[in-house]
Amino acid sequence: MSRPRRVVVVGHGIAGLTAADTLRAEGFDGELTIVGDEPRPAYSRPALSKALLRDIDDLASHTLPPSDHGAVELLGVRATALDVGRRRVVLDDGETLPYDGLVVASGCRPRRLGAEAATGTGPGTGAGRRDDALALRNLDDALALRERIASRPSVLVIGGGPLGMEIASGCLDAGCDTTLMSLGPPLLDQLGRWLSDLLVDAARARGLRILPADAPRPPADLVVTAVGDVPNDAWLGSSGLLGGGRLVVDSRGRVRQDVVAAGDVAAFPSTDGPRRTPLWTSAIEQARVAAAALLRGDDAVPYRARPYFWTEQFGLSVKAAGVMPAAGDPVVVDGTGDACLVQWPGAAAAVNYRIPVPRLRRLCETAVA
Amino acid sequence: MRIVLDRPRCEGHGLCEEAAPALMHLDDDGELVLDREELGDSETAAANAAVRVCPVAALRLS
Ligand SMILES: Cc1cc2nc3c(=O)[nH]c(=O)nc-3n(C[C@H](O)[C@H](O)[C@H](O)COP(=O)(O)OP(=O)(O)OC[C@H]3O[C@@H](n4cnc5c(N)ncnc54)[C@H](O)[C@@H]3O)c2cc1C
Ligand code: SF4
Repeated sequence: MSRPRRVVVVGHGIAGLTAADTLRAEGFDGELTIVGDEPRPAYSRPALSKALLRDIDDLASHTLPPSDHGAVELLGVRATALDVGRRRVVLDDGETLPYDGLVVASGCRPRRLGAEAATGTGPGTGAGRRDDALALRNLDDALALRERIASRPSVLVIGGGPLGMEIASGCLDAGCDTTLMSLGPPLLDQLGRWLSDLLVDAARARGLRILPADAPRPPADLVVTAVGDVPNDAWLGSSGLLGGGRLVVDSRGRVRQDVVAAGDVAAFPSTDGPRRTPLWTSAIEQARVAAAALLRGDDAVPYRARPYFWTEQFGLSVKAAGVMPAAGDPVVVDGTGDACLVQWPGAAAAVNYRIPVPRLRRLCETAVA
Repeated sequence: MRIVLDRPRCEGHGLCEEAAPALMHLDDDGELVLDREELGDSETAAANAAVRVCPVAALRLS
């Protein structure tokens, strides 16, 4: 396989940035161009719903150290189409970028509720107009949300996943009367019964009101939705690369020999078939594999999923490794109550408990005592 | 080149340790310890990887 001389990276989130860094670290000294539609350097997305929402004085919790990959960065520019035959990326400013290696790292965006749900004309009323509902994905969203909650509106958060719960936590901390609507118990699907109960108890103790998703909508000054995400792959629509409407890659992140993908946009092989893993460390690990595969093909080490997840909400900091949701009650390895290290078969979690990720990962691979 | 830790910001994820085990580790209390602050050229790549992986931007190179 001939090494590419001209690589284009679409998306300058953590996956695009890591891919660019890795290409250089692996010795790629050709032309490198990064296209990103956000008009600013890459930043830490997980911080948006945590430190940035909580510490109103800290304006820098999301900043990442500057890069030294020496790529040409086209920021505020969007890729609109891909021609895999002629190996060109079409941009929204009318330019086209030729490549002989392409990294797709365009991430995802919030899923929006249907018009009826969002306008409040369905069950319940008072949710406000559709454009009143905020979602949280990028820095502008986070700054807008911060500004809105500073005046302590009543807030309705729709969605009981980790993001919805973090947003609700931030709103409560800001002094807002906050209600969360969730399909089933919050966090149950993501983290399992034990962690869900722990976090929901902490949330209730701090004053969060939790309603089922089909309850009448309470009136609120501000509605924030956090109901999942959808991959940014529309620009690949005519490229023929989407299989069954998804961007499916092999275990080295390859869609084809000269196109790789990583991060929230990419469905990697798993025991349950191709799956997206929209998590920070997964995006980084996938981007490393994909960049290496672009240069070295089959000689690159394949991706091995080792999920790691953390969240901060309602005064609790949770880190979890292994297969989530975890079923049943865990064994407590150390600590008690609100600060403990616990273990399930194939999974482990630390609650308000400092532990290196490698140790947590080892714990989820050892037998439960 | 030096690696600098903004200690109050560090949340002890230890993802940096995983990226550059020769340069840093978390001690038994979960506090990050920089084993090497002054870096040689051969360590720049590992240091960069560690800095990059930290989700709270607690590390930087200077
Ligand atoms: C608020 C929030 C909190 C989170 N908290 C956690 C957490 O605690 N733990 C965790 O593990 N994960 C968390 N995540 C998920 C994590 O942030 C993502 O998995 C990670 O950022 C994915 O990186 P990425 O580079 O694949 O995608 P992104 O970060 O989405 O980057 C993709 C970039 O490409 C741009 N783009 C899209 N389409 C185009 C186009 N056509 N042309 C040019 N540019 C384009 C996008 O605007 C974006 O800048 C959180 C996410 C959010 C939104
Ligand atoms: S990755 Fe960041 S937060 Fe985690 S231990 Fe390292 S410096 Fe601290």
